[in-house]
Amino acid sequence: MTTTTERTRAVADVVPAPPRKRWSARRYLVGGILVLTCWAMLSPVIWTAMSVTKPTDVAFLNPPVFFYQPSLQSFVDLWQTTQFYQYLINTLVVAVISTVVALLIGLPAAYALARMPGWISAVLLIAALIFRALPRFAVVLPMYDLSRALGIYDTTFAVAAALVAINQPFSIWLLRNFFAEIPKEVDEAAMMDGCNRVQTLVRVIIPLMGPGILTAGIFMFLFAFQEYLTATILTDINARTVPVFIATQLGQTLPMLQQAGAAAMLLTLPVIAFAFIAQRYLVAGLNAGSVKG
Amino acid sequence: MIRSRTRLTCLAVVAVAASLAVSACGAGSRTAAATAAQVDCQFTAPAQPVSVNVLAYNSSAVDPFTNTMVKSCTRDGVTVNHEPIDFAGQVQKTTATLAGATGTYDILENYGFVVPTQAAAGKLRPLDDLFAKYTAQYGLDRISPEMRKVMTYDGKLYALPMQAQMYVMAYRKDVFDQLGLKPPTTFAEMRDAATKIQAAGQIKYPIALPLLASSDIITAYDSAMGSLGANFVDPGSKTPNFDKPQAAQAFEALRSLLPFMDPQVATFDQPAVQQQIYNGGAAMAIMFSGRMNDLTQASNNRFASQMAFAAPPSVAGGDILYNTLSVDGWSIPANTKADPDMLFSIIASSVGPDSSKASVPAAFPARQGVLTESSSPYAAAALASITKAPPAEPYPWTSVISNEIRPVVADVILGKTSIPDGQAKMQQLATAVLKQYP
Amino acid sequence: MRRREFFGFVAPSVLVMAGLLVLPLYQTIAWSLQRVNYGETGTFVGLDNYTHALTDPRFGQAVLFTVELTLVVVATLIVLGYLLATLVNGLGRSRPFVLGILLVSYVIPQVVGGAMFSWLFNSNFGGVLNFLLSTLLGQDILWFASTWPNRIMVALNTVWSMLPFAMLVILAGLQSVPEEVVEAAQIDGAPTWRLHWNVIIPTVRGTLGFVAIISIMDVLRAFDQLIALSPQAVQLGNESVMLYVFNVAFQDGGQQLGLGSAVNVLLIALICLMLYPFIRGIAREARHA
Repeated sequence: MTTTTERTRAVADVVPAPPRKRWSARRYLVGGILVLTCWAMLSPVIWTAMSVTKPTDVAFLNPPVFFYQPSLQSFVDLWQTTQFYQYLINTLVVAVISTVVALLIGLPAAYALARMPGWISAVLLIAALIFRALPRFAVVLPMYDLSRALGIYDTTFAVAAALVAINQPFSIWLLRNFFAEIPKEVDEAAMMDGCNRVQTLVRVIIPLMGPGILTAGIFMFLFAFQEYLTATILTDINARTVPVFIATQLGQTLPMLQQAGAAAMLLTLPVIAFAFIAQRYLVAGLNAGSVKG
Repeated sequence: MIRSRTRLTCLAVVAVAASLAVSACGAGSRTAAATAAQVDCQFTAPAQPVSVNVLAYNSSAVDPFTNTMVKSCTRDGVTVNHEPIDFAGQVQKTTATLAGATGTYDILENYGFVVPTQAAAGKLRPLDDLFAKYTAQYGLDRISPEMRKVMTYDGKLYALPMQAQMYVMAYRKDVFDQLGLKPPTTFAEMRDAATKIQAAGQIKYPIALPLLASSDIITAYDSAMGSLGANFVDPGSKTPNFDKPQAAQAFEALRSLLPFMDPQVATFDQPAVQQQIYNGGAAMAIMFSGRMNDLTQASNNRFASQMAFAAPPSVAGGDILYNTLSVDGWSIPANTKADPDMLFSIIASSVGPDSSKASVPAAFPARQGVLTESSSPYAAAALASITKAPPAEPYPWTSVISNEIRPVVADVILGKTSIPDGQAKMQQLATAVLKQYP
Repeated sequence: MRRREFFGFVAPSVLVMAGLLVLPLYQTIAWSLQRVNYGETGTFVGLDNYTHALTDPRFGQAVLFTVELTLVVVATLIVLGYLLATLVNGLGRSRPFVLGILLVSYVIPQVVGGAMFSWLFNSNFGGVLNFLLSTLLGQDILWFASTWPNRIMVALNTVWSMLPFAMLVILAGLQSVPEEVVEAAQIDGAPTWRLHWNVIIPTVRGTLGFVAIISIMDVLRAFDQLIALSPQAVQLGNESVMLYVFNVAFQDGGQQLGLGSAVNVLLIALICLMLYPFIRGIAREARHA
């Protein structure tokens, strides 16, 4: 068991260990494999980026065209002829709201589960596990019916609420493991100093949980940002998100199909930037003990 | 080192965000395409601002009408909303919005094939009173009476026709001329032409049809049966015709084209067939006329100047072609809360003379006298095709039966089920559906 | 922690789960016993929907396909994830950069990733990979119209989108392997594979288990990617259980909401079955930890 201070330092100290000296042929081999892997993983994105910057008449030509005069026209068309901006805003609103709410609800619950073992905790955790595994349709189709009856169908509120419910179990799961890493003595010391439970959690424990909360938050955000099925069933025109928009464009004819590819790129670029920032926190956060199984 | 890299990433994020924010200025500014007609859209301004949601798939034939609505009728506190969507999306959203007591959409792009089913279920608002009231104002008497009849069920009009779509054959003039071929008039001639094109070695799969197993394949089968002179259901005795020889011949006819089509043809919808033509992968394609104009645009198609058009062939000779006549029009759902007079004014103004004229050459407008043989490169072919289509089957069970038998049709055409087995299954499925309509 | 505090802390979470998950689940179970459409009151039909599902060969095929896809993809994810994590773990300064690139396919929504993937394979839309392969092999592979190539493509796409997560979690796990243990083994002169097999893998077993649970859950629910990658899924026998539900309960107009709900209930049972070993472990741990 690592102590809190060590863990905090390990998280702040993101400089990886210097590479061990190995004979160079092996290093080249490893480097080569990794370069190839990266290239393979990126190839769908690269190919899409090429397709959408080609002139329309050769965009999807077969045999494919490899050399062409790149143009950003399909991005301009997408931006000007559709409400893409609105879809992007909807997607972000849903992602941010559902992340914040899922964390606010999940934190105290995870804390309680970590601090009070027993059959109730076991039942709740198993429930969370099963809820994490639920097929979306089992909850989303009733939600569709319900949201239409309540008149909240096709609102970002409905999608966000659904995503809070769907993603919350995973946040409880992750966060519980983080809390479990913090020794109970820390709580006891804080309570000796006159804090009550809520104060202990808010003032003492949560500040120690920085990276853990960040990790959970990043995951929640990604799940919500990517969600297609829930959004496609619960939205129509007012709350349409980008993944839903792109999916409804796949059967379009040429100029619009190229725009769908442009939409995919516009959605992808910010999350790629996000991935570069998030990777260090994800490794650090997961390393901090969340995934001991 | 680490710090500076963090700052770089932050800078990149800020730059992306800033560029998004700046370009947000122009966002959605061209929603109703600049080319859309501006028409006179008259209605009494509602007391409260309302938004009217229009469900219509995007294609170059439907867009002119939709865009006219959005552009001309967004006024006096009314906002007309239209979100881009593909055809499969429209089909799914239509069923969803019509189910239940309230729906999202106030105006639906609809087509003759499904109107009777929806009308019989009470999902659509009859339009006769409004049609009579506004005939003079919007010149509705010039909307083709035949097309209105297609949109009529049980004596009531359920959709205001905007355009007709019929199968047209597009072919590559250069390829045909080079081999001394003429546009085929029967399936046998089509196979001959395809054999010669294949033998010439340039084009491996000369024929392109939309046969998407989850959608278009049933329209193709219906067209083939129609060309052989058989309906899905005999309307008099209300018995399905899938046990008749024509049902088997239709399968044989479609299967006989398989060697000349891309092996993945059952995954192709109409946009995919267009793509085959753009790629030079096929020399002839049969699709709805609304998809033809795209083929003549040099911005999409390198072969645009080589495209020629003809009426589709008939399956086995005879007057009825391998064809489906589909009438597209606007319906008002029964569960909309918006003012029907306002909604009707919006749809009526979109099928007026100006917007109908603006829809040519992409569409075949329902308004009489707008389209002539010289209107577009394929107008003559469309005019030749429309008179030789199999009769429509305006019954509520037609689209339900189509949905039910579609997987079987796909299995038979793909060779997974034998023709007699498929026929028996289809007969059984259709009989079960017909029992629900006493 | 006192009981009252405990309940206060878990209350919001339990309320949300009860209201937005348990209630809908109850509705699903109720629907599964009815013949019903959206916004209408259904008629009770007993277990008809279950009998229909269980005797529908299409459903059987969907279960088979989904389970096979799950097993193949999860095994691949663990093996490749472990190898990749080991390689990345040995990197020096380039590590953040490599990790950033490797995470890209994880952050792209699956439905979008599926579309991008399909454009690599679809000859109608450029299909660069298909083009290169058919040039090399001298014959066309029917990625969308032939059962096995389509399965391979779907599996590749699923691995593509989930590998980064597996790699990331295993990488985190590798970092908690004590340095001394590894060094001791190296001093003993153990070959690399033995070091991994005997020392490192046992240490990160928990992590691998975690990857397995999450991946099993996610692949069993495979849906998004099939929209773009398998337009002919029904004919190919490549319909996942979720796609089957979508097709019968939503796509074709929701005529068979009852049947779709029954399939949902059956799928939940299947998921519980496949997760049973993990559930038991968690129950034991949560009671005693």
